[in-house]
Amino acid sequence: MTASESNESDQVPAAPLPSGASVGEVSGPAAEAPKLPDAHECIIEVQNLGKSYGSIIALRDVSTTVNAGEVTCILGDNGAGKSTLIKILAGVLESSEGVFLVDGIARRMGGPRDALALGIATVYQDLAVVPLMPIWRNFFLGSEPTRGFGPTRRLDVTAMRRITRDELLKMGIDLRDVDQPIGTMSGGERQSVAIARAVYFGARVLILDEPTAALGVKQAGVVLRYIAQARDRGLGVVFITHNPHHAYPVGDRFLILKRGRSLGESEKKDISIEQLTTLMAGGDELDALARELRRA
Amino acid sequence: MTAASVTADERLVTPSWASRMMRRPEVGAAVAALIIFVFFSTTTDAFLSAGGAATWLESSAQFGIMAVAVALLMIGGEFDLSAGAMVGTTGLIVGVLATHLHVNLWVAVLVSLVAAALIGALNGWLVVRTRLPSFIVTLGTFFVLQGVNLAGTKLVTGQVSVQGFADVAGFYDARWAFGSSAQFGGFTLQISVVWWFLLTAAATWVLQRTRPGNWIFAVGGDENSARQVGVPVLRTKIGLFMTTALAAFLVGMLQLFKTSTVQASTGVGQEFIYIICAVVGGCLLTGGYGSAIGAALGALIYGMTLQGIVFAQWDNNWLKAFLGVMLLGAVLVNNWVRRRAEMRK
Amino acid sequence: MRFRTLAVVALATSVLVAGCSNGAPATNPSAGNNGAAKAGGGDITVALVTHAAPGDAFWDVVKSGAEAAGRQEGITVSYSGDPDPAKQSQLIDNAVAQKVQGIAVSMANPDGLKESIQKAIAAGVPVITVNSGLEKSREFGALTHVGQSEELAGEGAGAKFRSLGAKKLLCVIHEAGNIGLESRCSGAKKTFGQAENLQVDISNIADAQNTIKSKLLADPGIDGILTLNDGIAKAAVAAKKEARSAAKVATFDVSSDVTDAVLAGDISFAVDQQPYLQGYLPVVFFGLKVRNGNDVGGGQPVYSGPGYVTRDNAAQVKKFAAAGTR
Repeated sequence: MTASESNESDQVPAAPLPSGASVGEVSGPAAEAPKLPDAHECIIEVQNLGKSYGSIIALRDVSTTVNAGEVTCILGDNGAGKSTLIKILAGVLESSEGVFLVDGIARRMGGPRDALALGIATVYQDLAVVPLMPIWRNFFLGSEPTRGFGPTRRLDVTAMRRITRDELLKMGIDLRDVDQPIGTMSGGERQSVAIARAVYFGARVLILDEPTAALGVKQAGVVLRYIAQARDRGLGVVFITHNPHHAYPVGDRFLILKRGRSLGESEKKDISIEQLTTLMAGGDELDALARELRRA
Repeated sequence: MTAASVTADERLVTPSWASRMMRRPEVGAAVAALIIFVFFSTTTDAFLSAGGAATWLESSAQFGIMAVAVALLMIGGEFDLSAGAMVGTTGLIVGVLATHLHVNLWVAVLVSLVAAALIGALNGWLVVRTRLPSFIVTLGTFFVLQGVNLAGTKLVTGQVSVQGFADVAGFYDARWAFGSSAQFGGFTLQISVVWWFLLTAAATWVLQRTRPGNWIFAVGGDENSARQVGVPVLRTKIGLFMTTALAAFLVGMLQLFKTSTVQASTGVGQEFIYIICAVVGGCLLTGGYGSAIGAALGALIYGMTLQGIVFAQWDNNWLKAFLGVMLLGAVLVNNWVRRRAEMRK
Repeated sequence: MRFRTLAVVALATSVLVAGCSNGAPATNPSAGNNGAAKAGGGDITVALVTHAAPGDAFWDVVKSGAEAAGRQEGITVSYSGDPDPAKQSQLIDNAVAQKVQGIAVSMANPDGLKESIQKAIAAGVPVITVNSGLEKSREFGALTHVGQSEELAGEGAGAKFRSLGAKKLLCVIHEAGNIGLESRCSGAKKTFGQAENLQVDISNIADAQNTIKSKLLADPGIDGILTLNDGIAKAAVAAKKEARSAAKVATFDVSSDVTDAVLAGDISFAVDQQPYLQGYLPVVFFGLKVRNGNDVGGGQPVYSGPGYVTRDNAAQVKKFAAAGTR
């Protein structure tokens, strides 16, 4: 499937999500994306994934799964290889070793559009929004619905405005004026618009790259709620963060990366928040540091 | 799905329709245009006459056609410094082919059209593939065209200007498309004004109501974001550069058929005027914001000012100085209006 | 990555090549051995250094004249030019360094070129001034001066307008700040009595037409328009028709379209400074100097014109104009 702009048909009703929420008329990835699998069914699986740049090994021997209706948290300090891993999942990079399975079939992604076609949507730290453009244009960027055909083919502006308002309302944001440039929204609001957009366009897997990194406490809480909502709607979520206190409440499994290697993958039932924090912070190293810093 | 409880954010106020209107990029330019119009109408006799109005309208139209195309490109985040020289190139191709190589006039026009499209496509492709600033790439194209305009014309004709174009077979038929005019009482409406109007309308339609228009805003506002969500950046930019090239073709034809001559130096230096018109009309130099109507108004301001100074019979040696002051004034008015609009509710 | 480097190199090369057209000498190989070249023997090379910007219609004809003389006399002519006097001085110095046997220079800004010209003369290279700078020519030590100054040519035009009965003159300058053009207009003003200048841009003839029309609408008293370029002349004719003005149009520089307009009565006269001669004669004079020791002119200037193209002789001139030599 090629990207959305080559679509000839518009006003194709998208496949309704299991939760019953109808996605409305749209021409875009939602119209062609594979259906959402049943809850807890495996969507993405990576086995022994590795990536090297010449003599630099960015990632080595990483394995994890992403299931429908579950949140997989990828944790690690800066430089652990998290961004390399998501780039591979998002289709931006190709892995050097290992297998990348989607729906049980090994894939080689040629670019982000291939990932989008499989229903893998990535919300980047910079959110892939255009600050000067109004919210409703940003929402449908790359997948604009149209009416008419040939030279009179035009944007369905009424639908775009209405759907944007409704979807954001579902996320808990009430905007009287969807014409406002997205750059005027707060960081948390922009995150939710980006998430709402991904959800609307029929993402099956949502990859969130450090969504809470630059946010205040309340805003971070808001974003975590959206993650939970997306999970409850049946999507698989990959949540990348370096903050275990954000990851633990919402995560179902936790993959910890350190210097490109996996320190292990644990299900929620097998690990406590304290254990998670210690693992992340470096375990023994942190004890040694605490001893060093103690007053003499 | 858990229904999220929605509480209206009490910090938001629904903006009135009027203040939303004021935030549009073209409003500032409209205000500036009105000021200049009133100024010259009241301080001169001929400005408001039928003959006078026809003159500054036509002057505005020739700048305006290019300004609209260049504005589209600027909204898309790029510059085209070769636009001026291309006006000369397209005119020279037709002039030289028709007068010296005795090619059929319509065939020559077609050749010029294709050449313009190819050069535009080349500009766009180079900019995207090399990731060099378009300022640099199109500056290179500008120099090449300037050189080719001179050397090519001299090579074929032995002179630096095209002579005898009005005697070419088919001249008066072709003039219908590019040089005709209609009389309404004392007022002459030139076809260039009609072209200008049509192009502005078409550009506004594309920008505001079509998918490529959305892509243009996106590609200019944040190219990386646009690429990430699947907007075809290469195609959009090539399309934009081809638009300026084809607009240059149109203006080249309009000028050729109006004056029935073209020189090797035609168009050189005009490219900055087009950019100025777009900026006066509200386009941001950094891209992602602006309007076609604004650029058209910017060209109107330029044309009115250029001819208005002559009507007012000010000392002509100060022409450029006056022009600069008025343009700065127009940009300032534009900025002031926009800032007021953003502050109001 | 490699492609990007390639594209940058290609771009840079084309920029360099195109940019080199300004000021680069374009050598014209001599026509080989004809009888006149035997005496004195060997190749003679002379340089023509003007203050013209490339592509200028007037100077283009000067260049054609010089090249034609070079072919006929068996002399190599190297042509270069730059409107900036500092750069033009460098071009003169270049020519001296290349050991040419004569330098023809147009002195739009005589003081700016004084040093280089005198260095050239001190190095034994004879100098002939052309076109502008008549007043300083002898003082600098030049052999002679070919052509009359733009100022004189302008005076002639002004006088002719007076004889046609015009009362108010408009002088259209198509390149702001060009010394030659300004001189033409100030010359016309002197003999006519008054003249108002109008700035237009040669790179936009269509809008020049609009501007002239605006001026005529604003000031219906104008009954004489003097243009300084053939393209602008055509624009002026069209503008006066659109403005329904009865003004008489005259112009500098001849082209086949201008001669057509003169024949049709749209243009009253065209001033022909015969730029072809301003290029042709210096080359011949240098040849005579090197091969026969002649000093043409006897210290006085050699006028190349002006000739006037009117309805009577337009048909004849048209033939030559079409060849780019008038």
